[in-house]
Amino acid sequence: MDELELLKSKWLSQDQKLPRLTFGEIYTMLLKKSSSIVKWIFFISIGEIILWTCLALLVPESSRKFTNDIGLKEIMIVVNILYYAVFIFFIILFYRNYAKISTTDSIKDLMGNIIRTRRTVKYFMLYNILGTCMMTLGLNIFYYTNRDRVFQLMVKDYGVLSTMDQEQFITMFFLVQFIIAAILIGLIVLFYRLVYGTLLRRLKSNYQELKKIES
Amino acid sequence: MEIKYKNTVIPIQQVDFSEICNVTHTSNTNTSSTKPLETELEHKFVKQLEENQNIVHKICRLYTNDQDAHNDLFQEITIQLWKAFPKFRGDSKFSTWMYRVALNTAITLYRKSKRTIKTQDYEGVSFKIASEEYDHTEEKQLSLMYSAVKELNDIDKALVFLYLEDKNYKEISETLGITEVNARVKMNRIKDKIRRILNP
Repeated sequence: MDELELLKSKWLSQDQKLPRLTFGEIYTMLLKKSSSIVKWIFFISIGEIILWTCLALLVPESSRKFTNDIGLKEIMIVVNILYYAVFIFFIILFYRNYAKISTTDSIKDLMGNIIRTRRTVKYFMLYNILGTCMMTLGLNIFYYTNRDRVFQLMVKDYGVLSTMDQEQFITMFFLVQFIIAAILIGLIVLFYRLVYGTLLRRLKSNYQELKKIES
Repeated sequence: MEIKYKNTVIPIQQVDFSEICNVTHTSNTNTSSTKPLETELEHKFVKQLEENQNIVHKICRLYTNDQDAHNDLFQEITIQLWKAFPKFRGDSKFSTWMYRVALNTAITLYRKSKRTIKTQDYEGVSFKIASEEYDHTEEKQLSLMYSAVKELNDIDKALVFLYLEDKNYKEISETLGITEVNARVKMNRIKDKIRRILNP
């Protein structure tokens, strides 16, 4: 192609009007902060992990007492140990992926590594969401089969909503459980769309482009 | 404050010079005489980047559409290069290594959108042609070509950039992470694409 060859010849003789920075100007840039996607993904991921840890710690004392009274203490301990084991496994994976990201890789490897790191965090979130869903479901099934006991504990012993009869209370109880779970999951999905959607859209399309070349 | 007090009160022969030096050193780093010298590594790095900065500017030109975005990208590339510099072994040329880090940064940096791609091309890009062969049509052709290249997607741009920099297909394929054969095929497709942009 003649035009591209022409551009190339002029390109190399480099008469483009390019800016010229001094030693000092470049030196001051070394001290500036980076704003790369990788860094943002790292910070947001750390934020997510902290968020989930905090949510787990936020469980109120009354809820814990209820769990003990209804006879779920041992099961909850086992579930928690399992949960944290998987949690630690994810954090290790995440760090390993993150450490692998290097700007000296080829463009394709770099983008692949960024997307992989992102995916680990995504699976971590998914694990949390699904885990929360399963737990909520399991607990509610348990509560349902033991609804007499739930009513007994909540209304009679703790005096929550003591004006309601058993039927009303049970309907209310499960409705509240459902609404809270739905709001939580909705928020997380929204967060994903907003943050990662915008952050990774271009990166993903570039990665697809490179993969297309190879296929 | 304390030092000033000391300075005014204590007779000149008793002034502890090392103390004064220390104070000026930490409180006023801008004074050229007391400014701490950059480390050897920093000096080496900045010197090489200064010499090769044209490469980075050309990439910034290609990937951004205004001066602010150009400067932001230049700065980000500088930071990424500096972060990767300790890993630079010197078994390849500084410039070769630079191509990779700079292009990686340009392609992965989050930029808001590709809003003003066609219209606000800053200062235009003109290629000065030596006076004896000065030819308006040629210069026009060149700037048309350049704007066609700017319309390509990020990956295609990287390929064309390396091609214009006279890199062989082996280097191009290594930088992008694709095979040499595919790099060639892709380059031919890009040439078609440019042709279509120029003659719709």
